[in-house]
Amino acid sequence: MDPVTLAVLDNRLRAIVEEMGEAMLRTSYSQILNSSRDFSVALCGADGGLVAQADHIPVHVGALRFAVEAALEQFPTPRDGDIFLLNDPYNGGSHLPDLTIMLPVFSEGQRCFYAVVRAHVPDIGGATHGGYNPGATDIWSEGVRIPPIRLGEDGGLREDLIRMLCANTRVPRDVRGDLMAMVGAARVGAARVAALLAQHGHSSLMAAVEAILDLSEAHARRILAAWPDGSWAGEAILDDDGHGRENIAIRATCTKTGSDLHIDLSASDDEAVGFVNSSYPNMRSAVAMAFAYLLDADVSKNDGAFRPLRVTARQGSIVWANEGRPVTLCTSHPGNEIVEAIIRAMQHACPERVMGGWGRRFRVAIQGRAPGGKSFVWHLFHARPGGGASANGDGWNTAGEWHSAGGLKFGSIEQAEARFPLLFESHEFRANSGGEGQYRGGTGAELRLRVEAEGTALANTAGDGARHGSAGVMGGQDSQPHHYVLRGADGSARILRTKEVGVPIQPGDVLHLQSAGGGGWGDRARRLPEAAARDIEEGYTA
Amino acid sequence: MSWRIGIDVGGTFTDVVAIAPHGAAYLAKAASTPADQSEGVLQGLQNLADAAGMPLATLLAGTERIVHGTTVATNALLERKGARVAMLTTQGHRDVVEMREGLKPERYNLRNTPPPPLVPRSRRFGVRERLRADGRVETPLDPESLAAAIAAARGAEAVAICFLNAWRDARHENAAADAVRAALPGVFVTTSSEVLPEIKEFERFSTAAVNAYVGPVVSRYLGRLGERLIEAGYGGPVFVILSHGGVAPLSDAGRLAVGTALSGPAGGVAAAVALSHAGMAENLVTFDMGGTSTDIALVTDGTATLGRGREVGGERIALESLDIVTLGAGGGSIAALGANGTMQVGPRSAGARPGPACYGRGGTEPTVTDANLVLGYLNAGSFLGGAQRLDVAAADAAMASLASALNITPLDTAAGIYRLVNARMADGVRVATVRRGVDPRGATLLAFGGAAGLHASAVARDLGMRHYAVPLFAAGLSAWGMLRTDLRFEVTRSVNAMPGDAEIRSLFAAQEADARTRMKTWFQGEITATRSADMRYGDQVFEVSVNLDGLDWDAPDIAARVKSAFHAQHRALFTYDLPEDEVVLVNARVAALGRLSGDAGRMPALPPEAPARRRVFLGGWQEVAVHSFGALADGASVTGPAIVESATTTILLLPGDEARMDGRGWLMVALPPEGESP
Repeated sequence: MDPVTLAVLDNRLRAIVEEMGEAMLRTSYSQILNSSRDFSVALCGADGGLVAQADHIPVHVGALRFAVEAALEQFPTPRDGDIFLLNDPYNGGSHLPDLTIMLPVFSEGQRCFYAVVRAHVPDIGGATHGGYNPGATDIWSEGVRIPPIRLGEDGGLREDLIRMLCANTRVPRDVRGDLMAMVGAARVGAARVAALLAQHGHSSLMAAVEAILDLSEAHARRILAAWPDGSWAGEAILDDDGHGRENIAIRATCTKTGSDLHIDLSASDDEAVGFVNSSYPNMRSAVAMAFAYLLDADVSKNDGAFRPLRVTARQGSIVWANEGRPVTLCTSHPGNEIVEAIIRAMQHACPERVMGGWGRRFRVAIQGRAPGGKSFVWHLFHARPGGGASANGDGWNTAGEWHSAGGLKFGSIEQAEARFPLLFESHEFRANSGGEGQYRGGTGAELRLRVEAEGTALANTAGDGARHGSAGVMGGQDSQPHHYVLRGADGSARILRTKEVGVPIQPGDVLHLQSAGGGGWGDRARRLPEAAARDIEEGYTA
Repeated sequence: MSWRIGIDVGGTFTDVVAIAPHGAAYLAKAASTPADQSEGVLQGLQNLADAAGMPLATLLAGTERIVHGTTVATNALLERKGARVAMLTTQGHRDVVEMREGLKPERYNLRNTPPPPLVPRSRRFGVRERLRADGRVETPLDPESLAAAIAAARGAEAVAICFLNAWRDARHENAAADAVRAALPGVFVTTSSEVLPEIKEFERFSTAAVNAYVGPVVSRYLGRLGERLIEAGYGGPVFVILSHGGVAPLSDAGRLAVGTALSGPAGGVAAAVALSHAGMAENLVTFDMGGTSTDIALVTDGTATLGRGREVGGERIALESLDIVTLGAGGGSIAALGANGTMQVGPRSAGARPGPACYGRGGTEPTVTDANLVLGYLNAGSFLGGAQRLDVAAADAAMASLASALNITPLDTAAGIYRLVNARMADGVRVATVRRGVDPRGATLLAFGGAAGLHASAVARDLGMRHYAVPLFAAGLSAWGMLRTDLRFEVTRSVNAMPGDAEIRSLFAAQEADARTRMKTWFQGEITATRSADMRYGDQVFEVSVNLDGLDWDAPDIAARVKSAFHAQHRALFTYDLPEDEVVLVNARVAALGRLSGDAGRMPALPPEAPARRRVFLGGWQEVAVHSFGALADGASVTGPAIVESATTTILLLPGDEARMDGRGWLMVALPPEGESP
């Protein structure tokens, strides 16, 4: 294949997924999509292999092929004009709020590609608003399960199926709007690929795709080959499952031979009662995410780049739950811990590439009535945890979790105060929260949030990391863990656990939330005195 | 009538365009002088006077207006050479600018490190005070706390005052500003509510911090420029073009210096708007290809869209600015085998130093310009009117190393670079237009800037466009555009509710009165005003900008009319609307416009000459006609393949292109049906 045509087609394929992403951003209805951008778009090959993916939410990378495979298993002979949908974590999905739309693209009668869009919708039914239900002990309490279905054919959509789906959410209009945006974005991708097929011909485009995947594989292998061979173990510990079981371990054994890497998670603890289990695709995605973080940012995120990777896990473990277990928290937890266990193991292989742990997610949702009686639901995105340090320097303050790594935005305080009965008394960096080291983890935040609802408001929490901080690597220290306290106007103080339902909040109570920092990198004895002095001067440490 | 002069300072060249009383237009260039841009400006003016055949003092004495575009603010941000800034902010909230809403660039790069904040944490001081979202005082401004913060800020050259909810009520910020001015005379003081009186603290604080950072530098520069112009014999007004494409007097531009940070490409977009109004096309996609990057903007129905939330040097500037997309590829972009094993063009650039290999200044890596030379598209002897000789052998040598890595011939490598950069440009335009809900196929591609003429045809074909256009002024279009835009002063108020009929009427009327009053201090001519609003549905986060100019403001149901304008705009942008939903008017905006008179000017025609011939590579070598752009008579037509060139611009007409010289100095090109990229 001539190198110029190959370069042009490589650019074209990337531009197509970028354009799909723009279409999604422009037309999606709900805030989690158009503001927080919790969606991913990709082109997959005829059998699901990832061809090109836009840089959106890292935790979706590498997961989409399982969706296509599940759809193919259900519909082995898709037709031109078919539109497939799924969300079932036990049938190609990650967790229930993530819907996935797939459109097969044909050329000369042959299936060549799938245009794929995955997006997190704001509600998917189940017992709690928004899908995160710490009380759930099975998947049926978490929301609607959609195994692969044919949502449309001949280019049209099944309106009856869409109505049924929307009837099962608390925000039918949002979900319908988001679903239409997903289909629209997938259609944009399918149309662009079809034009490319028409322009270059079926066989030469498919040959180009193979060549691009091969080049990505070679790129990844060049990086891997530079690391020493060996086998290393790493571990990360979940606080608990919310149902009395504590310290659940995720264990990775990473064996690197030549330019191949085998990641074995079989030694991880058994599955849990609560929603901290991972679905199989989410586990695979978390492994791919860790792998991508260890490579270079410019390695193309496609199936070729992941070919050097072999993954083993044990069904029935926390990282690969048996069908029926609740899994909604999995894109955060144990997604983050899978990454962290792998990174901890790999610090022995590529110390200059590993980074200290990024913070764990600890969300709070408050439901209540504003003065005047209007009901509200507010989701906490503030008080973000810190990012991990690396061999290049200190971590990013308040940049978030492994799964999004600085890609999830928290909104304006002024807008929140204008729309909700909340007063942000203070929101600043939390000194000393980042793990110490030659390079310091980024700081978390300290938020004092006064709730001024009418009557009692109720808070749900969902997350982890109030016991375990973000991991330090290469001798760096772990960060401080999260520490959330509800301070009553009457002087009382109640520590918030990470998986609670229906915590009452009285008017005037203050949520005093201190989030974790990022993990440190390297021995703190090697920190430059100037850097330590600057930390004091700037107040990152006290 | 007298002379009007537009001056655009770019990274490499300072372009000066002048329109004489009789309508003749002149373009002169001088090397830009980054240390003090006013030196290059004066040199450019001198070159212009030479071209016009008169002494500079005489020219300036006969000049009624100078409009200036400067990159002083932009460079200060990019090079981190701004003022030492202190920030006074609401106690408990001093990290807003450093938290950056939790975002970091480069999604898969977890080893990049945070940039040092423009205002370090140790110079951000909390002040005891707090307003609520509805304007009620939660905590009064505490004088002791304020005095302590001011004492701590001593030594700063500029102070930014950034208080929460100051968009609702500026009294705490204003009181603090007065106290700072009294205590620290000579310090540049700015408040967030003055710079951007809108809800959303990160946007407002960041914009104010940037204003404080560049304010002292820009004020000093503009002051120096004003003095030099007076010394050179000029006594008229100097206007500065701002991020929104309008212009403001020198003194105001210094106070809102952050508004000049995004003004670099504004002149080109202003030119596109003027060309659209003059009849070039209703819809234009600007294609301004420079040395290291390419700027793309859309003009639809004669109007350029404004956007917000751009970044310069990694710093958020939330002022309304022309909606320009910058692609990281231009004439100086380097082609190389990427880490992933495929050939890539950009984002690395040879810049002005060493420049492309063919400049003979030590560059050895192949660039887009080198490829254009190897392919015969550029004339080695007459580049920049002969001011820059191009070294073909050096360009060939630069191709050779990449060619061996790719295992193809150097000529195929050059053709490959040309093809790949065109594909990247076309993809960039497509994504940029989709993002704005526009189909590029119905628009005309307007090519300008040094390098665009060689790529316009291929890019337009790839996009399925039917037409492209290159004005004679292509190399100085931004400077020309500055002469074609209006004075603009904006008044914005955050409302964050849906006001009733009487309220909304008086709100806009009051803002318009404010805007007109200010404009009258700048300008004696006719003033018009334009109204718009940023609106959203209750639960959405993003606002939509809604034009409210066509409405009957005396109608009793004006609030309902404003709402329907929003629903319609939402439908146009996002394919749906929600008439049953709560509507929130977030910001009310009024801009007063002072229309600056004057005709478009026309470059004097060169004497007709017979076309030369040159060998160019279009899949195979062939000899094509080379026409002098300036010598083409009105109505003359040229069929591709051919080259049309002037001292500053070269246009490659691909086979089948039908070009016609328009009477207004535009080369209008129609593409053949079913155009294919070579």
